[in-house]
Amino acid sequence: MTKYLGINRLSKLFQIIQEAGGLKQTYLKLYRNDDLKIGTLVGIDKYGNKYFENPYYFYGRNRWIEFPQHVGMDYDGSQIPAEWYGWMHYKTDLPPTRDGCRPKYKWIADHSENLSGTKESYMPYSTTPPKVEAWDPKAKK
Amino acid sequence: MAAIVRFNLLSKPQIVAALPASVQLRLQSTQAPPPGTPPPQTKTTFGPLADEDRIFSNLYGRHDWRLKGALKRGDWYKTKEIVLKGPDWIINEIKTSGLRGRGGAGFPSGMKWSFMNKPSDGRPKYLVVNADEGEPGTCKDREIMRHDPHKLVEGCLIAGRAMGAQAAYIYIRGEFYNEASNMQLAIAEAYQAGLIGKNACGSGYNFDVFMHRGAGAYICGEETALIESLEGKQGKPRLKPPFPADVGVFGCPTTVTNVETVAVAPSICRRGGTWFASFGRTRNSGTKLFNISGHVNTPCTVEEEMSIPLKELIERHAGGVIGGWDNLLGVIPGGSSTPIIPKNVCDDVIMDFDGLIAAQTSLGTAAIIVMDKSTDVIKAIARLISFYKHESCGQCTPCREGIGWMNKIMTRFVKGDAQPAEIDMLWEISKQIEGHTICALGDGAAWPVQGLIRHFRPEIESRMQKYAQQTQRASN
Amino acid sequence: MIRAPLVKALGALGSPTHQIASRAVRTSAIVAQTPAKAPDTIEVFVDDIPVQVLPGTTVLQAAAQIGVEIPRFCYHERLAVAGNCRMCLVEVEKSPKPVAACAMPVMKGWRIKTNSEMTRKAREGVMEFLLMNHPLDCPICDQGGECDLQDQAMAFGSDRSRFTDINYTGKRAVEDKDIGPLVKTIMTRCIHCTRCIRFASEIAGVDDLGTTGRGNDMQIGTYVEKLFLTELSGNVIDLCPVGALTNKPYSFVARPWEIRKVSSIDVLDAVGSNIVISTRTNEVLRILPRENEDVNEEWLADKSRFACDGLKRQRLVAPMVRMPNGELQAVEWESALIAVAKALQKANGQIAGVAGQLADVEAMVALKDLINRLEGETLVTEQDFIKGSGTDVRANYLLNSNIAGLEEADAVLLVGTNPRYEAPLVNTRLRKAYVHNELQIASIGPKIDLSYSHDNLGSDASLIKDVCSGSHAFSKVLEGAKKPAIIIGADILERSDGAAIHATIAEYCEKLKKPDWNPFNVLQNNAAQVGAYDVGYQPGLQRINQAQPKVLVLLNADAGKLTREQLPKDCFVVYIGSHGDNGASIADAVLPGAAYTEKQATYVNTEGRAQQTLPGVSPPGMAREDWKILRALSEVTGTPLGYDTLDELRTRLEDIAPHLTRLGKLEKASFNELSPKTATSKSISGGAIDVKQKELREYFMTDAISRASPTMAKCISAVNKQQRQDEAKQSVAI
Repeated sequence: MTKYLGINRLSKLFQIIQEAGGLKQTYLKLYRNDDLKIGTLVGIDKYGNKYFENPYYFYGRNRWIEFPQHVGMDYDGSQIPAEWYGWMHYKTDLPPTRDGCRPKYKWIADHSENLSGTKESYMPYSTTPPKVEAWDPKAKK
Repeated sequence: MAAIVRFNLLSKPQIVAALPASVQLRLQSTQAPPPGTPPPQTKTTFGPLADEDRIFSNLYGRHDWRLKGALKRGDWYKTKEIVLKGPDWIINEIKTSGLRGRGGAGFPSGMKWSFMNKPSDGRPKYLVVNADEGEPGTCKDREIMRHDPHKLVEGCLIAGRAMGAQAAYIYIRGEFYNEASNMQLAIAEAYQAGLIGKNACGSGYNFDVFMHRGAGAYICGEETALIESLEGKQGKPRLKPPFPADVGVFGCPTTVTNVETVAVAPSICRRGGTWFASFGRTRNSGTKLFNISGHVNTPCTVEEEMSIPLKELIERHAGGVIGGWDNLLGVIPGGSSTPIIPKNVCDDVIMDFDGLIAAQTSLGTAAIIVMDKSTDVIKAIARLISFYKHESCGQCTPCREGIGWMNKIMTRFVKGDAQPAEIDMLWEISKQIEGHTICALGDGAAWPVQGLIRHFRPEIESRMQKYAQQTQRASN
Repeated sequence: MIRAPLVKALGALGSPTHQIASRAVRTSAIVAQTPAKAPDTIEVFVDDIPVQVLPGTTVLQAAAQIGVEIPRFCYHERLAVAGNCRMCLVEVEKSPKPVAACAMPVMKGWRIKTNSEMTRKAREGVMEFLLMNHPLDCPICDQGGECDLQDQAMAFGSDRSRFTDINYTGKRAVEDKDIGPLVKTIMTRCIHCTRCIRFASEIAGVDDLGTTGRGNDMQIGTYVEKLFLTELSGNVIDLCPVGALTNKPYSFVARPWEIRKVSSIDVLDAVGSNIVISTRTNEVLRILPRENEDVNEEWLADKSRFACDGLKRQRLVAPMVRMPNGELQAVEWESALIAVAKALQKANGQIAGVAGQLADVEAMVALKDLINRLEGETLVTEQDFIKGSGTDVRANYLLNSNIAGLEEADAVLLVGTNPRYEAPLVNTRLRKAYVHNELQIASIGPKIDLSYSHDNLGSDASLIKDVCSGSHAFSKVLEGAKKPAIIIGADILERSDGAAIHATIAEYCEKLKKPDWNPFNVLQNNAAQVGAYDVGYQPGLQRINQAQPKVLVLLNADAGKLTREQLPKDCFVVYIGSHGDNGASIADAVLPGAAYTEKQATYVNTEGRAQQTLPGVSPPGMAREDWKILRALSEVTGTPLGYDTLDELRTRLEDIAPHLTRLGKLEKASFNELSPKTATSKSISGGAIDVKQKELREYFMTDAISRASPTMAKCISAVNKQQRQDEAKQSVAI
């Protein structure tokens, strides 16, 4: 009956709002993530990314990430570090927090996000010489 | 090189017409023939040559070759009178004798010498004697120069007089050291005796003879290459025209003739053109030095009458083929550049220009290379091609590239490591070389291959088959 | 003396295009071949089409008359006939063998078949032989796309290979030769056509190249490893029908089908050689000669061909102004033009202009108009000439006998010039006349190698007087000649007694001249020189010293003859030009102009022929065409010039000197113009006559472009290295 009237959805909405911490926060969350979901917090990585899971949603949408507040709207998928990448993409069901056989070497580099389009993005240097070499009045013969 | 034959210059009908022509001529000639026409043929059998008819009476070096001995043998006898009779008389006598160039091409000498008799334009004229006898199998000129050098010196004077030449250059092959020494001595003797030089033989005619030693290149036996070499350049044949009779050595009219041609001229003049013409068939008249080498019992150089049958020549003078006539495989009748003929052709071929042309080969320098059945004929021809490849001057494309290619193919043919289709290809390649080059060396290199394919194709094919079987067995 | 190679002398006897052979051989041969010198034509048939040709014409030429092209590799119109490639074999009816069309003179009534079965077979056979040992490296060969062998293999070759021996022994391989920094050799590709050998010994006059070995081992080379030392070496690249000799600086740069070709002219010497500029993506890649019978035939000197990489170095790409700290700084056009205009306006007419050796006529006229409008008068060329009004009479500074005309000369006196390096393509004409026309040559000046034997009379200037007074032995030769010529180097007229030399020779030439032959020649060495005199520039920088200008405009003036010390302290120097060289380094303002490959401009060569360059690429950076800069400047100074387009400017040129717009036409100086009255004093002071370019190394760098060229630098170091090696060898021998 409740299902029929959609009351369960309504109660879910309330639950979400409650979890988010009020209407304003809900709005902000919706604005930032274009989505409103509730689920269990599976883990938080060292960059502050929160990983959630809720099998209520269908496969493919049942795991998601909430990026930390400080990145603002400048988040993108490459901010997910390698250890969570596998869980996010369903390569494994064991999140790194619970997977004990993950290798932990000293030399493993810190994760860095894709810097394309930013100032720090990689620029290959030109290998072609200029077609015309200009005269430099300072260069004495 | 001397044996390179220019019969490819003649058109086919001419070649075919060559044989019956003498008969036709006799029937047609109702009025008196013009001066210089050889007498009609009356003989039907040729050879052997009687001793008194031999021109080169010291061919074997049994007598003194120097001036004293030469005088004893009749050289320089009444040379003054011959010189004084003038060019027209000499040329007429040569024409009557029917002498054809002994260097291989067989061009009528009288006609060739008369080309030089044009009115002078101020340039001197030269006689160049081609003593660069490099053709494998040929060893006639060296015998003349070694044992009868005065015949050549005297011949130079008479031939030179016939052309109005001022000097003769004898271009002698570099390897002929002894011959060059004897020749030089003979020239010096003739100078000292006043036979040549200023007022030669007291005839009032000035004539010099110089000798030039080559550096050992076969191609320098080609007349224009010889001229280039004489001028001090690389011995590479010139384009013709202009022919040497127009523009020869040092830009002056020149005639290049073989040693033997020049050396027989005095005897012809002394004994008369008709005497010389009485030997051999019409248009092939005279006596000739034959070199017989290879698988014969006594290899030799011998002066014989033209038109003598090959079999008789070999059996009479060379002691026959080793193992008997039936052991004969084939004969290269005119030096290495002429096509080989197999035994069945050898049986009744006669040794003169037209007779051998009819047998699809050539008299060349009359250097007969006899091969008996123990010969690997493919290897023999391959060796000749490798010689031609080595001696090609590299100037023009077909010879430079083509002979190298033929050599590669022939080396494989010796083993049999080839496809039967390549025999036809080799034939075509040889045809692509023949007649497409500046000089006749290309032709001379193509003919041995053509002769081989013409007569010994089954031999090549069976060898390829054998090789294919062997390799198949080896791989199995 | 027989100077021509004998084969050539005799191979093409009497052929109308080859006026060859020494006189002795020629006359005698004519007597021998054609008793009555009959100019009658004879009829032959080429593919059944009747052709009337002169006796002695070769089969190939007869076929060419009706447009039948016979394939060839070794044959070249300007070289002796070698007849060794055998590609031109054609069938002649009734001849059992095919004949070599390039060498065989036609006989009356011959029926030549250029497309018969026999002909095609012969060609195919020769082509097969050529390809047999030719490597299949077309994809990495620089000749690919412009290769005679490729083209003719497509047209006349077989469609498949029969060379089964590739599986057994392979092809011939030949070691590459190092013949210098200009010509790259890949000798395996050589087909032994010997064109390069014949070019070297006949045209260039250096017997450096030849063949060694024989048969299949024959190689083209220099006998011992040495440079192919000649100022014409690049032409063997064009002559080579395959990729055996290729352009070293251009190697692996471009394919011919990617290239845009622009017909232009060369300005690195005063010959005005016709060239084709090959460009791609706004870059000059190489320069090739273009055929012009009157100027360069089809040759090109090495500097003109290889200095094109100098167009990409040391370029002025932005206007510059000298800042108070004494350094030139790149600025925008606007501020540069304002700075220059201010200086011009302040100068009160004390303005002078100097035209350098690469200045084009349009820019010179624009500069002249601008300075005249600003009431300046002093307009000079960097190169000096005789004092007085020498440039008023055109015949005084032209090569009056013409470049092509020198071929017909039979006695030439060179005074203080080395045509071999000052104008290599004039020298080839002299050499041609020497070889084929029994030309007698004498020189007054230092002993130099001219690539032909000549009589060095000595270097003392007083010899000029001796010769011109008729007392010298060579005077007899000149006076007895049908077409004598005296060639004066432009540089010796810079001497203080230049006017006297000029006048003495001019007076003598008055005596020597023939109804249609002017023997008086000045050989200029700057492309701009004749044009500058034609539009009214005065010669000589001493006028600048006299004028002491406030503003000096240098138009391509890079010779380094002018220093800041000669100028007043407050003089504002403006440089307009393409390269940062001597001119730009002394300038207070630099306005970047266009080089000759970047503008449409007129140049007048040493014989007075106006020709135009065409732009192959656009000027680099902010550089602009020189006359446009001056036009813009005139706008800023408030004295606008009356032309906005090139056509309008050309109309102005026509007003000044009509011949400047008759492009390509030779404008001879009128015949009686030559006046010895120009001389003020007639005393030649004596002293040794010198020429600037005596050796090959001095040839390579003579102007701003070639000085910027790395290839030219390589040439000089290669020549020096060769000389060191030779000296070392000699000292060992001693």
